[in-house]
Amino acid sequence: MGSGNNPIYTGVPEKDVFALHFLQTLSNLRTQIPFSSPDKTKDRVKKIKKAAYVSMARAAGGTNRLWSRSLLHQAAKRNNKNVRLSRRRKRVTWPRRNRRDPVEEPAAERLRNLVPGGGAMETSKLMEETAHYIKCLSMQVKVMQCLVDGLSPK
Amino acid sequence: MNSSLLTPSSSSSSPHHLQSPATFDHDDFLQNFFSSAPWPSSALDDDAPPPTSDSSLAGFHHHDVDSRNQITMIPLSHHNPNDAVDVNAIYSGFSAGSLPFHFPQGSGGGVMKQSHTQTQSQATASTTTGGTAATPQTKPKVRARRGQATDPHSIAERLRRERIAERMKSLQELVPNGNKTDKASMLDEIIDYVKFLQLQVKVLSMSRLGGAASVSSQISEDAGGSNENTSGENQTTAKMTEHQVAKLMEEDMGSAMQYLQGKGLCLMPISLATTISTATCPSRNPLISAVKEAGVPLSPNAATTPVVNVKGASVVTVKDASSVSKP
Repeated sequence: MGSGNNPIYTGVPEKDVFALHFLQTLSNLRTQIPFSSPDKTKDRVKKIKKAAYVSMARAAGGTNRLWSRSLLHQAAKRNNKNVRLSRRRKRVTWPRRNRRDPVEEPAAERLRNLVPGGGAMETSKLMEETAHYIKCLSMQVKVMQCLVDGLSPK
Repeated sequence: MNSSLLTPSSSSSSPHHLQSPATFDHDDFLQNFFSSAPWPSSALDDDAPPPTSDSSLAGFHHHDVDSRNQITMIPLSHHNPNDAVDVNAIYSGFSAGSLPFHFPQGSGGGVMKQSHTQTQSQATASTTTGGTAATPQTKPKVRARRGQATDPHSIAERLRRERIAERMKSLQELVPNGNKTDKASMLDEIIDYVKFLQLQVKVLSMSRLGGAASVSSQISEDAGGSNENTSGENQTTAKMTEHQVAKLMEEDMGSAMQYLQGKGLCLMPISLATTISTATCPSRNPLISAVKEAGVPLSPNAATTPVVNVKGASVVTVKDASSVSKP
């Protein structure tokens, strides 16, 4: 899946990149956490979900994308208090008023809540990030679905 | 001449269909037009012969875009209502871009004035096309050019809106059901789609990879696990697997194979298994002999490989070369 026809670059890597990252993350998970009893499935599920997102963020371009950067940041923050501050190109500032008050602001607000790192973006940048995010998400879903299908008995 | 001339020259395709008159010849008209050198509003009245005036304006547009930014379409205001339709077509041709037009099809002069102010407030792409053509005027005074309507703020605003619209269009292709023309509903669709995808990730991480605890998965965890397990433990778990496999084999061989595969095990004749195990690691013999059926773990060697066991469905990554190949 390469970049589309639009001049804005929103290409994502192929499926195997996502698969590789995901499996790597899963194996890390396995070595970190010994098998726990079934009552702790919720915990496991959460960990796996987080692993999925983190692997997706890594696969999708590491720190090149704002949403992936913020996702990795959030994940790291939850793990340990010491977050290595990566070099940021620009600080997070309140976008100036005239950049955030178009006609479609209420809907954009919801989008900001959904897409990681959305609170700090202009609306146009938000849409671009959303497009890339959607592509990566669908790729990740495909990978996970393939994994589940291929590995389930019967 | 053919009808294609009515499409604006600056933009490749205008989504709004122009009801263009089929033919016209613009040569006569152009001569008339260009003969009158400056383009004061009042002068144009007399020059334009009424029957060819609509088509002439289209031809006029072509030259206009390149040369003149400030052209007044005075004749428009004096059209009779019958021509209002064509006038709208031409007018939309002038605005070179994908602006939604709401042209009331009423009488001439008032109509043009309304639409003029409307498009002036809406014009976005016109900045890129270099200030297309004519603003119909009823006053002899020259208005501000379209595309530089009032001040830098509105230009920036327009640019920004244009950028947003462009990205919305690309998002539209990604999202299923992206055929809504309304921006608000399109945004709703996008939001719903993102939520749906996130939910899918959550469900998938729950379903097989995360969640449903089952005895077999517990077995697979231990059986396929690292080889630090005591042989006794291995024996019991192997026996349970054995029973399971036997049960499955009664119904259907394929399902049994898949079950084994799910555990990262494969089926092989005992002789082969013993040969392999004795060849690689003699200490494994007790384990092998305990297994009546030939359900051999895929990493028979003592010195191997981290095995990734995802609960419920084992993913065995076998890295040693001497292992049995997976079925």
